[in-house]
Amino acid sequence: MRILKLCLVFIGLILCAACSSDSDSLKDEEKPTIRVAYEGGFPQGCEVLKRGETYTFKAQVTDNEALAAYSLELHHNFDHHTHDDQSETCELSPVKEAVNPFIYRENFKLDDRPKTYEISIQVSIPDAIDTGDYHCGFSVTDATGWQRRTSVDIKIVE
Amino acid sequence: MSIRLLIGLSLMLGTKVYAQHTQHIKGNVIDASTLRPLAGVTLVGHNAYAVSDETGAFVLKTVGDSAVFKVSHLGYETLEFKPHATTASPVLLKLKSSSTALATVSVSGKTQERMHSENATVSIAVDEEFLDANRENSLMQTLNKIPGVSTMNIGSGQSKPSIRGLGFNRVSVVQNGVKHQAQQWGSDHGLEIDQYGIEEIRIIKGPASLLYGSDAIAGVVAIQPAKIPERNSFNGSVNLLTETNTDLYAVSAGMQSRGQNWFYRGRLTYRDYADFKVPTDQINYENYIFNLHNQDLRNTAGKEADASLSLGYVSPTFRTETFFSTVSAKNGFFANAHGLEVRNSSIAYDASNRDIDLPFHQVNHIKIINNSTLNLDAHRLHVDLGYQHNQREEHSEPVPHGYMPKPSGSRERVFTKNTYSLNVKDVVSWGAHTVSAGINTEFQNNNIGGWGFLIPAYDRFTLGGYVFDHMALTENLHLQGGLRYDAGYLDTQSHFDWYRSPRTNADGSTSQVYAQRARDQQLNFGSFSGSLGVSYIHKNTTYKLNIGKSFRMPLAHELASDGVNYHMYRYERGNLNLDPESSYELDAEVRHDSGRYRFSVSPFVNLFDNYIYLNPTAAYYESLQIYEYTQAAVFRAGGELTAGIDLLPNLSLDASAAYVYSRQTSGPKDGFTIPFSPPFSTLFSVGYGIKDFSLFSETRFTGDVRITARQTDIVPPESVTAGYEVLNLSVMSKLQVVSGKPWALRLKLNNVFHTPYFDHTSFYRLIEVPEPGRNFSVSVTIPF
Repeated sequence: MRILKLCLVFIGLILCAACSSDSDSLKDEEKPTIRVAYEGGFPQGCEVLKRGETYTFKAQVTDNEALAAYSLELHHNFDHHTHDDQSETCELSPVKEAVNPFIYRENFKLDDRPKTYEISIQVSIPDAIDTGDYHCGFSVTDATGWQRRTSVDIKIVE
Repeated sequence: MSIRLLIGLSLMLGTKVYAQHTQHIKGNVIDASTLRPLAGVTLVGHNAYAVSDETGAFVLKTVGDSAVFKVSHLGYETLEFKPHATTASPVLLKLKSSSTALATVSVSGKTQERMHSENATVSIAVDEEFLDANRENSLMQTLNKIPGVSTMNIGSGQSKPSIRGLGFNRVSVVQNGVKHQAQQWGSDHGLEIDQYGIEEIRIIKGPASLLYGSDAIAGVVAIQPAKIPERNSFNGSVNLLTETNTDLYAVSAGMQSRGQNWFYRGRLTYRDYADFKVPTDQINYENYIFNLHNQDLRNTAGKEADASLSLGYVSPTFRTETFFSTVSAKNGFFANAHGLEVRNSSIAYDASNRDIDLPFHQVNHIKIINNSTLNLDAHRLHVDLGYQHNQREEHSEPVPHGYMPKPSGSRERVFTKNTYSLNVKDVVSWGAHTVSAGINTEFQNNNIGGWGFLIPAYDRFTLGGYVFDHMALTENLHLQGGLRYDAGYLDTQSHFDWYRSPRTNADGSTSQVYAQRARDQQLNFGSFSGSLGVSYIHKNTTYKLNIGKSFRMPLAHELASDGVNYHMYRYERGNLNLDPESSYELDAEVRHDSGRYRFSVSPFVNLFDNYIYLNPTAAYYESLQIYEYTQAAVFRAGGELTAGIDLLPNLSLDASAAYVYSRQTSGPKDGFTIPFSPPFSTLFSVGYGIKDFSLFSETRFTGDVRITARQTDIVPPESVTAGYEVLNLSVMSKLQVVSGKPWALRLKLNNVFHTPYFDHTSFYRLIEVPEPGRNFSVSVTIPF
């Protein structure tokens, strides 16, 4: 039994050492947030955009420590392969093949490590692209490497 | 018990008076399956005894010819030996290994290994009895009850091992002496090994590169060759299994036979299961909601068909066995989200819970292995030769991604791996020393296909040489140590996208190019490993202490990947400057077993100079987060604790706990843990045996509760996983149905309360899918 006690003490010490050297309080364990559904946020769920027009895509992002980068991505959803994470369900046009779909993918850095920021990206929608259902994705990272994504279903018409 | 005997005998040695009219019988004791000499075997008769020496030799001094000797050795079945006046001298005694079962978790004695190179290494032997009693849907889930061993599950039918929180390529799975080489780097890949027909598995917790080379940095799951059948025997069994949760039907039939020297065995296994049921009607992943039909996790059905055959020859000096096996499986993946990517589909997934629609994967693993052992006077020569072919195809609905237009066909990723292995080992016994020296070589040829790119095609050659000495200082005090050097060569092939993406040129203009995803690259690696250990046996307690250095060569994708993993919404970038991982570990074990009480503690401390992991950076590439293979120093410590008591001869209580603490101490995630850290976990079991009644015998009820703590120690992009408690119940019995061998029955109820809980290391954890709900299973084994 003496051995047993010694072992318990030994493992207890290891556990204590493990816990006391913990730096949990110093680690950043919070993801950034991202919000499109506010007044001024663009596009709202099921928004209809026109070819040839220029729009300013806007979203509000925050982080507990430091925001690092964000991106905007637009791709077609003619095959209904995915759906957005906004509350309402948009009415989709019939499934069709893509001929010349619009693709937009851009990344932006935030060098001054803000805690809040309003994403504001001007996107011109070309005239020659396929009209139909599109998907708009925002994502943001913080300095630690946590990421948050959100997506919105939109439509591009003539 | 044999240790007591041994100690008793050694005390007697000094006082024994030689009997009159002595007759001398000389002989040798060897292991019946490995044919290795066994040292320290006791032969006890009415008034005589002997203990075999390092070469297995013994001299018995007996009186008359009526004596019966008990030949016993820890870890072996006791044999009765009755010499007659006509008995030829020297005699050859063969002992059969028996992995002793302690309650539900089988933990075998280490004595056999004292002469083996794995000595002093903290290892656990799992026998057939344990495997039968705990059989789950995949081999690693079956082994999950062993403290320190956890699994990474991909749905209900697939899993891969994790030892003390390290998995993927940091655990080597070895079957019949040859390293199992498949796509173990992948997060949605399981182990392609038929879990039926396995008689013994030895699990090494801790670095074992010295004997197993690269990849054994966290431990080894070594599936031992099956024992050689007895002379002039023919036997076999059929196992039938059905389960309610996945509506599973499985059958496995095996047989073996031996004449004088030649033997053969074969096995066929077929399993077919439907989608697994989870204790929820709805999955909430980020802002997405997936409604489940009948709580079925859509499209996770699967099937598996395995066959194996082996042919062998055994004589006192030579043993050879050639083993052929094929394992084929088709497994569906959850339809609503593949990886992290949420998917819509027009496929009628809910029409049947048994069909396997897209996305799914199909795997086939073919193995041909030869193990040969030649026993010469002082030398034992082992040769393992292996060929493996692994084919994995991942199919999903073709959709455009980024600049990639809609591809044709569903073959997204195809991985083909051919592995050729050769291991040669010579074991020499020389006084108190047993020296092993050997080489391990392996050549891998890896090809890729399909429209998705994740890792480049590559060839890999590794060659390692080692020397290892085991020294018996006294009967109870053993030292061991060894050194090894490995050299590795890796040749990755270049890869270009099959579609064009826009690239901004230096002058600001944009051109459409086939982006290069991998470069043609040749890399060389070399690394030393070594270990030093001591074991000491005092009465019923064994003490072990080891210090060792292990290594792991970087993998092709860690070095050379440069592509988009759309299913995980990330861009994965390799790093050609990665060094081989090196790990230093100090571990110890104290194990006490006095029959009624049992107790063990196995703490460890481990340092990695340069642990390789996929680090999420803050940067983007084409709107996808860049994940980069990075190296960081890591400190780990933890251990396992087990305790058990037999309150009554038929009532046992057992408890075990496992904990690992991990910290990155450098690099971009300094202060964070490492990915896939298992939470603190405990298991409490009660076993109760009842008297034989009617046609039932050896009936035993078991209840176990797993209590797992909340895992708050996470690293991006993981989420905190809540703790849980799950109750499992089972009853096993032998049923004498007809004359002949009794049938083995097992009824099992897993997750009795249909508790929704999450496993921190499960593949589906990422998308908030709970573990399987209540499952009732019935298994019958009919021996013949």
